[in-house]
Amino acid sequence: MKKTADVIIIGGGIVGCASAYYLAKAGVKDIIVLEASRSIGHGGSSRNGGGVRQSGRDVRELPIAMCAVQKFWPSLSDELGVDTEYTRQGNIRMGKTEAHLRKLDTLTTNCRNMGLDVRMIDRKEVHAINPYLSDQVIGASFCPTDGHANPLTTTLGYYIRALEKGVRFYTNARVMALEKVRGQVRKVRMEDGAVLEADTILLAAGYASRKIMNTVGLEVPMHDEIDCCLVTEMEPKMFPQMLGCADADFYGHQTRHGSFVFGAVAGPEMLMDEDTDKVNFAHAATLGASCRAIEGYVPLLKNAKIVRSWTGWCDCTSDGVCVLGRPEETPGLVLACGFNGHGFGTAPAVGYMMAQTILGEQTLVDLSPLRYERFQEMIG
Amino acid sequence: MKIERKEFIVVGAGPAGLSAAIEAARSGVSVTVFDENARPGGQLFKQIHKFFGSKEHMAKIRGFRIGEELLREAEEKGVEVVLNATVIGLYREKEIQVQIGTEVHHYKADAILIATGASENMVNFRGWTLPGVIGAGAAQTMMNLYHVKPGNRILMLGSGNVGLVVSYQLMQAGCEVVALVDAAPRIGGYGVHASKVARCGVPFYLSHTIKEAEGTDCVRGVTIAQIDAKYQFIPGTEKHFDVDTICVAVGLSPMTQLLKMDGVEMADTRGGYIPACDETGATSIPGIFAAGDVAGIEEASSAMIEGRMSGEAVAAYLGYASADEKALREKELEESLGALRQGMFAPKNRGKKLEKTDEGIELSEMLLEKGYIGDDEIKRFPGYRAEIKVHPVLECTQNIPCNPCQTACRKDCISIGDNITSLPISVKDSTCIDCGMCVASCSGQAIFLVSENPEKGTGEVTIPYEFLPLPEVGEKGYGLSRSGQRICDATVRRVRTSKAYDGTALVTIEVPIGYTDRARFYRKADEAQ
Amino acid sequence: MFDIQEKLKEIGPYVPESDDDLLVCRCEEVTKGEIRRAVHEGITTIEEMRRFLRCGMGLCQGQTCGMLTRRLVARELRVPQSEMDVATSRAPMRPVAMETGGRDLGVEKPAAGGDAE
Repeated sequence: MKKTADVIIIGGGIVGCASAYYLAKAGVKDIIVLEASRSIGHGGSSRNGGGVRQSGRDVRELPIAMCAVQKFWPSLSDELGVDTEYTRQGNIRMGKTEAHLRKLDTLTTNCRNMGLDVRMIDRKEVHAINPYLSDQVIGASFCPTDGHANPLTTTLGYYIRALEKGVRFYTNARVMALEKVRGQVRKVRMEDGAVLEADTILLAAGYASRKIMNTVGLEVPMHDEIDCCLVTEMEPKMFPQMLGCADADFYGHQTRHGSFVFGAVAGPEMLMDEDTDKVNFAHAATLGASCRAIEGYVPLLKNAKIVRSWTGWCDCTSDGVCVLGRPEETPGLVLACGFNGHGFGTAPAVGYMMAQTILGEQTLVDLSPLRYERFQEMIG
Repeated sequence: MKIERKEFIVVGAGPAGLSAAIEAARSGVSVTVFDENARPGGQLFKQIHKFFGSKEHMAKIRGFRIGEELLREAEEKGVEVVLNATVIGLYREKEIQVQIGTEVHHYKADAILIATGASENMVNFRGWTLPGVIGAGAAQTMMNLYHVKPGNRILMLGSGNVGLVVSYQLMQAGCEVVALVDAAPRIGGYGVHASKVARCGVPFYLSHTIKEAEGTDCVRGVTIAQIDAKYQFIPGTEKHFDVDTICVAVGLSPMTQLLKMDGVEMADTRGGYIPACDETGATSIPGIFAAGDVAGIEEASSAMIEGRMSGEAVAAYLGYASADEKALREKELEESLGALRQGMFAPKNRGKKLEKTDEGIELSEMLLEKGYIGDDEIKRFPGYRAEIKVHPVLECTQNIPCNPCQTACRKDCISIGDNITSLPISVKDSTCIDCGMCVASCSGQAIFLVSENPEKGTGEVTIPYEFLPLPEVGEKGYGLSRSGQRICDATVRRVRTSKAYDGTALVTIEVPIGYTDRARFYRKADEAQ
Repeated sequence: MFDIQEKLKEIGPYVPESDDDLLVCRCEEVTKGEIRRAVHEGITTIEEMRRFLRCGMGLCQGQTCGMLTRRLVARELRVPQSEMDVATSRAPMRPVAMETGGRDLGVEKPAAGGDAE
């Protein structure tokens, strides 16, 4: 193989694939993507609930989410030539108690202050928008421009189009270390001993990014966390909205295919001590807890059959939002990691802006609140 | 959430699971078996034919009776068997989720054995999703468990033992089997199983496969065609059959989901995609075992021994048996399993083209390609001998691990010797008393009693008969050849049934002299062929 | 390291076959041709194939078509079948109704309005 490139991207997830696609589209000829596992989109990119959500976001991330919804998602199926199943029919975040509603109201106010169209709705309006919800739901926040998409086809769509544009993809390609050349991060040392070199290296490898950045003296305080989803068999079409709840009991939606995808946890999952490379199963209590949570909000689904569950990993940072951009102390290196389990919805915009960052262009939105240096400032 | 603690949980009450439960319970382990079916026994209760092997393998006993015996033994040893209990998940720390009725229960155990068996493979041909295309195992379940006839006119795809045995059972249930088809150039299952189907007149089409299942709402017909060495259809070789059912018997896949979801290391082998485990079924996770088809596709007889080995290993793992006891029992079971894994169909011979028997006799090509031995070919095997007075003819021409005929005969007319896979010899100058025990004891229905009466110009052939209604004495019909063709007139002279024959009737037909070496089945005159 | 561009070059473009319209995955109605074509687009593992086309993602979770798809993809990629990945297995091993799945506390009475006796 050719050992040099203009850009090396570490991580074949949606951020890596989208960045590669936009770079190639911008005319960069020589791009390598390295994926440690056998499959593109092996990690959180494929293992998420498919939310394309702005409401409830941290204000530092919200501009990216709004940018993604306004500029990328509506035309993405056409752009990629795959059906991303993007559905913009709103996100209902439900509450069953007054305490829930107070919590939702705070989130709503924060987002409205940032210019997002999101509002509180009462019981009557909740049931007018979605008649399948439980009578116990007394109110909700509603963001009409939120929605959902299919993470599987979207991730692979970016991959296939990038491949078509000549991006070189390697799977089973695990990166062990980064190395500097004359003060620039330029080299990538692979598990099999091979050394690759590029002008710019984008690190978008989920939680694995941490160990890799450690090799050039960077550290982002983060941990990986297990999250679980279940999938039902195909059901008649019921509702198009993305659901969530104040209590964070569960979230999910009905896919275009007809199956429902719901995410929920029982509690012990985040403390499970598993080698995520080897096994990735949920806790034995997750299935039951998820079912009870879902039935509590969408009672009609009690007879829906669950055909599968899955587990994914979230790369969670200490302040709950991702790290984007060029750390000052490591020229040549760009970070895009720590998406905290909600990176799918923003991925098209993030990929686009990572390409901009690499090309030295001004990014669509200001990414400075998400810069690497913030962690030192937090501690200092 | 409540988690109930058990000592040893077995998933699957089939031959492997029950055997393991019995063996472990024998050492004092407290055992709970879960099975998703309403009845225990797994595949055993679908097996109405007699099993192969030796006495220790419960040879010549019908499968469902072995199941009954296992259940009785399990009950006697205090094994708890929970039915209608579907294990839906296997988790860390040996925890399982079991759906029972409309609830899910959580259990943990110190050891868990996965004995979930296998599911049927499918092949894709045009029309394969039409109602009427079913697995051969499914057909067997319909017939033998639920007493439902799967169809009227049936084509069987697959000539392994499952395809052969089920074809025969379909005919027993009153279905017409129009053809037995296999893409391979040679029959995959035992020659004796093939022969009992062939002599009923079922044609075999080797190097053929299904081109299309016809019909819009359900199967109305099927077209098969010959294929070349690259599995491409040869134009002009198409043959059409009017059928309402197509049975598919193209192998089994281990149902390893529970093992895989727990992170057990797997291996891609000729026996399927199975857990990497040692001879006792111990997997890469301590305390998790696998036995039976889920650990590699084999016969039920092997599954039972594997189960016993796992049960013994679990007893030792849980401190109920000493290492010495374990080693001793393991050796005994290994020898027993080793005996079953000998011969032409041994796992080590899978995919090999054998030319000769262990005795150095050239195998019958016709048997391998058409399902029956040539009238002249049979004469080169030791089971054949020409004699006027009554004597057994043993049409057993492949080295398979089976020997009940040897002990069935009290007069030493049949000899196999110590090697269970040797071909049976019809012993010269021995005195056959026409008791028929050998005929009924042969799981392959390959033994016939033959005599001649030169003065009368006739001869008699006694055949094993497992169809209802039984022929009546004095009834006139036809003698059928090994390929199921009418070759002579025949008169039924005797019909013997006996508890000792265990469901196999012995029908003695009188045929013209010269046909005693060729007539191998009987059909009543007014019955359509 | 598996070089996907090299592999795609090696196997050449997708060439239609007469039985490309055959259903392989009946639960999700995925054809042989769709699977074959996807390989040439860059889908090189069973994991990706399931996500891209949904084959093996239906009610039977690939129990029927899993090995058929594996063989097909291996053939198209010109690699031995043993080099292909195998779909992961996940709980529940059999489809479970939501209401049943939720009744796993061992102490709780069935939810009000349930049809249990």
